[in-house]
Amino acid sequence: MTDAHAEQDWRAWFAEHGARLRLVARQWTRSEADADDILQEAFIRFWKHQRHLPGNPNALVITSIRRAALDLHRRVDRRVVRENLVVADEPTATWFEPEADPRLQALAGSLPALPAEQREVVVLKIWGDLTFEQIGQQLEISPNTAASRWRYAMESLRRLVTARTYE
Amino acid sequence: MNNEEEAFISDLRALRPRPPSSAVSAALARELAPPTHARRSLSFWATTVAAVAACFVAAFYFLGATPLVAPVYELVRAEQPPATIDLFDPVRLSDGTFVRPVRVRWSHQTQWEDRQTNTRLINYQPSEQFALIPLETY
Repeated sequence: MTDAHAEQDWRAWFAEHGARLRLVARQWTRSEADADDILQEAFIRFWKHQRHLPGNPNALVITSIRRAALDLHRRVDRRVVRENLVVADEPTATWFEPEADPRLQALAGSLPALPAEQREVVVLKIWGDLTFEQIGQQLEISPNTAASRWRYAMESLRRLVTARTYE
Repeated sequence: MNNEEEAFISDLRALRPRPPSSAVSAALARELAPPTHARRSLSFWATTVAAVAACFVAAFYFLGATPLVAPVYELVRAEQPPATIDLFDPVRLSDGTFVRPVRVRWSHQTQWEDRQTNTRLINYQPSEQFALIPLETY
C-alpha cells in the first residue's frame, strides 16, 4: 500500500495541532493527565496504523482519540456508558492559555460551564475542525442533532459571557 | 449566520488551548524518531545471532536425515463467503434519538500449498463490524 503522506513531517504536524487535539481529548477524559495519556496513545496508534491513508488526517486522529478515551473509560469503570463520558472532576481553568482581553477571558471561563453534550460539539466544531456530519459520526448522533446542540450551545455561551462581563 | 454570530465564533477561535505536557511531546519524539545508528546496529546483531543459532539448531536436527529443500508454496484457494448481517431491534439513546444496531460478519480465507511436502499454509481472517444506523421518527 502506498503512503499518501510519505513526505509528511509528523512531529511538525503534532507540534502544530497538538494543543487543539488535547482540548478535544480533554472533553472525554476526567483529568488533564488522562487527556495527555489519551492524546499520546491515540496519536501513536494513528501514526503506526493509519498515517499512510489518503485524505486529511485530522478526522482520523480525532476518531483515534475518541476510541482511546472509550477504552480508558472501559478499563477504569465499565459501568460508565458513552453518553456520560464527559465528567469534570478537576478545575477546568487550565484548558486555555491566559488572555488579556476580558471578553476572551469570559469566553474561556464560560465554555467549561456548558452542558457536556453541547460543549463537546462546540469543541469538535471549533478546535476539532469537523463538520456537523463528521461530528455526528464521532458522537453517533445525527448531523441535525449535532447542529441543534451547536445552536443551544451558542445561545448558552452568549448568556454566560454576558453574565460574566457584567459581574 | 449573522455578523454577531460570526464575531462570536471568531472570538472562540481566538482562544488558544494549552499545549500537551512536555512528557507527551518527549514520548512522541522518541516514538516517531527514525531508528538511530546504535538501535539499528543492536537490532542487526540481535537478528544475526538469532539467525545463526536457528541455522545451527536446524542443521543439528535435520541436516543429517533429510536434505533441506525450500518449500514452494502456491496459491490454491482464496475465499470470501457472503457476509452475514444481524439487524437488532431499534433502541433509544439518551439524547432521544432512535438507532438500529447492526452487526456484519465476514471472513477471508487464503490457502497456499507446497506439493513436495504436501503441506498447506492457511490464512483465515474473520472480521466483525458493529454500527448504529440513525432512524428518523415522524
